[in-house]
Amino acid sequence: MHLTVHQLAKAYGLLWALRDFSFDLPPGEVVALLGPNGAGKTTLLKLLAGLIPPTMGEIVLNGLQFERGTPIQRAAIGFLAPGEHLYENLTVRENLHFFTSLYKKREAIKQIDTALGEVGLKHRSEEYVVALSSGMKCRLSIAKWKLLEPQLLLVDEPYGVLDGSGIDLLERFLKAESRKGSVVIMASHHVARLLNLCTRAVILHQGRLIFDEPRQQPWDSFARAFGEFLPHETSWSS
Amino acid sequence: MELLTQTFLLLKKDLLLEMRRRESLLTMFFFGTLLLFVFHFSFELVPERVAQMTPGLLWLAFLFTGTLGLAQLFEGERDNHCLEALLLSPLDRGAFFLAKTCFNFILMVLVEIVVIPMFWILFNLQSWEVVPYLFLVTVLGTVGFCVLGTLLSAVTLKARARELLLPLVLFPLMIPVILSTIRCMEAILRNGAIGDALPWLRLLVGFDVIFLTVGVLIFDWVIEV
Amino acid sequence: MVESFKSSGKRKGYLGALALIAILVGLYWGLLRAPADAFQGEVQRIMYLHIPSILTAYLSFFLVFVGSCLYLWKREKRDDILAYSAAEIGVLFTALTIVEGSIWGKPTWGVWWTWDARLTLTAILLLIFVGYLMLRSLIEEENRAAVSAAVLGIIGFLDIPLIHMSVYWWRTLHQPPSILRPDKAPWDNIHPAMLTALAINFVAFVLLYFYLLSHRFRLGEMLEEIKARKLRGEP
Repeated sequence: MHLTVHQLAKAYGLLWALRDFSFDLPPGEVVALLGPNGAGKTTLLKLLAGLIPPTMGEIVLNGLQFERGTPIQRAAIGFLAPGEHLYENLTVRENLHFFTSLYKKREAIKQIDTALGEVGLKHRSEEYVVALSSGMKCRLSIAKWKLLEPQLLLVDEPYGVLDGSGIDLLERFLKAESRKGSVVIMASHHVARLLNLCTRAVILHQGRLIFDEPRQQPWDSFARAFGEFLPHETSWSS
Repeated sequence: MELLTQTFLLLKKDLLLEMRRRESLLTMFFFGTLLLFVFHFSFELVPERVAQMTPGLLWLAFLFTGTLGLAQLFEGERDNHCLEALLLSPLDRGAFFLAKTCFNFILMVLVEIVVIPMFWILFNLQSWEVVPYLFLVTVLGTVGFCVLGTLLSAVTLKARARELLLPLVLFPLMIPVILSTIRCMEAILRNGAIGDALPWLRLLVGFDVIFLTVGVLIFDWVIEV
Repeated sequence: MVESFKSSGKRKGYLGALALIAILVGLYWGLLRAPADAFQGEVQRIMYLHIPSILTAYLSFFLVFVGSCLYLWKREKRDDILAYSAAEIGVLFTALTIVEGSIWGKPTWGVWWTWDARLTLTAILLLIFVGYLMLRSLIEEENRAAVSAAVLGIIGFLDIPLIHMSVYWWRTLHQPPSILRPDKAPWDNIHPAMLTALAINFVAFVLLYFYLLSHRFRLGEMLEEIKARKLRGEP
């Protein structure tokens, strides 16, 4: 998946949530999307997912324009937000069955049990989602996207609900996706962990892109940008 | 056909959820029968007036009951932002429309199966043999109601005062369906057959076909997160 | 057609003057030149206002339809402005039609209101217009409001012929349309002077409608311009 974004902007009424946003991501890129609350991270993710229409700018997926999104384009996009996009009154298995059928992944339907086993939910496959804790719901989401095989995976603040083993699970999953050539964009406040995982860091501040660089050692420029614009971030520890 | 496969998938999911939570169906049943009781105490249904008043009263009950169902139509997608999940997916918007329309249709027909015989019993009507034909006409009218209702339910999804706005925009546009079904039902009650009311039946079917097609084509623009 | 509304004040001035002249001529013709109706007497003259205003109301909804279609297709703000401007002026003309119909109805039928086909249809049209405008104002996000209203506009327009048919079949109290009777040509049925009066008044109403519409449209455009400038950060 090759993702290019050009001059993307979104305004709500008279307020700009995102302005002048451009970047170019080759296959396999894992992007750490950072910024304080209200910086526009979720807006950017939703724009890339095609859930909200941009006010200006364009998104190009694998060389093709992405506007409302053709079914093929949409099938390639994944959005992982903890606790979201799961039907509370369907069982774990029913949720996976529904989504794999919706995405027409015939082979994946047979892999449901395997996926559940990998995320540690096999023994709870017949329970309703409403009975799961938020950590388990997040694991279920991971299982879901494992089965749906997106080429662009957007992740919104996953670290808050996962325990240690859950975090390992997520990171292994994201690394595997990246190896397959998918682009992963993850928004989070937990900078330290993200930096280990990512191949590129992007910082948003008040809707504008203020830093966009591939990872390097040492990363002085990042430390500078980070310190300047995000002085209150306490989870930053080198 | 792809459209139908997706429609069926979504419909199965909605019916499964409804069977488990039973929110919509029970409220609709209750409301429908409650209205019948209110009518029973409000109107004196003398035998000469049966053909005249029955269709109108039945349709009042169905309209209000149906509107209840419409207001709750997208509730299942509200928890956990599941609407986002559906719009994110390769789901054909036309299939989404058809699935929701069918879902409301099934709920309404289930209510009608109970309400129509109950009406006959409560008002001591004798002409039981016309009930099946009456039911068929009602079904055609219900299709029209569900098609237009689903469209407008989605159009008004983000509006404030939705409970008031939805009936306000829906009812004037429903007039062809209401008038057609009532005339057809009157004809059946009076003569036992459609007879003169055939043009009305054609209008009704025409309405159903037109807006079913429009709905499938236009739903892409209607539904957004 | 839409370009013509982006006219300068001058063109609107000409339109307004033309409308005024047409109205005056129409009034003259309708009140003085055309003969009184054989059955209804002087009261019938209100038809010269009533029929043109209902036709203008239908024209109005057609413009809502055109604006809605164009907006959904191209997403140009001005098509949306056209649609809701047409709806607003349309509400005005529709309400006017009902009042006129009522005024005609009292001496003719003895009641202020009856459920005859034409009045009922006009009332329904008014409800649809009002529903459209309410939908627009009750949705917070602007683009969403515009898209939803456009869809409603299209559905409404497609439904109107069906509503027309069903209400007409239902009620035939009103006089059969004297102009649009299928077996005779329009000009055979009524006195030529009456027909002329009707035609002039129709033209007058359409001109008046477009005059008001152009003003409303310009107002809408100016509001959009203000919003766009604020968004760009200009004073």
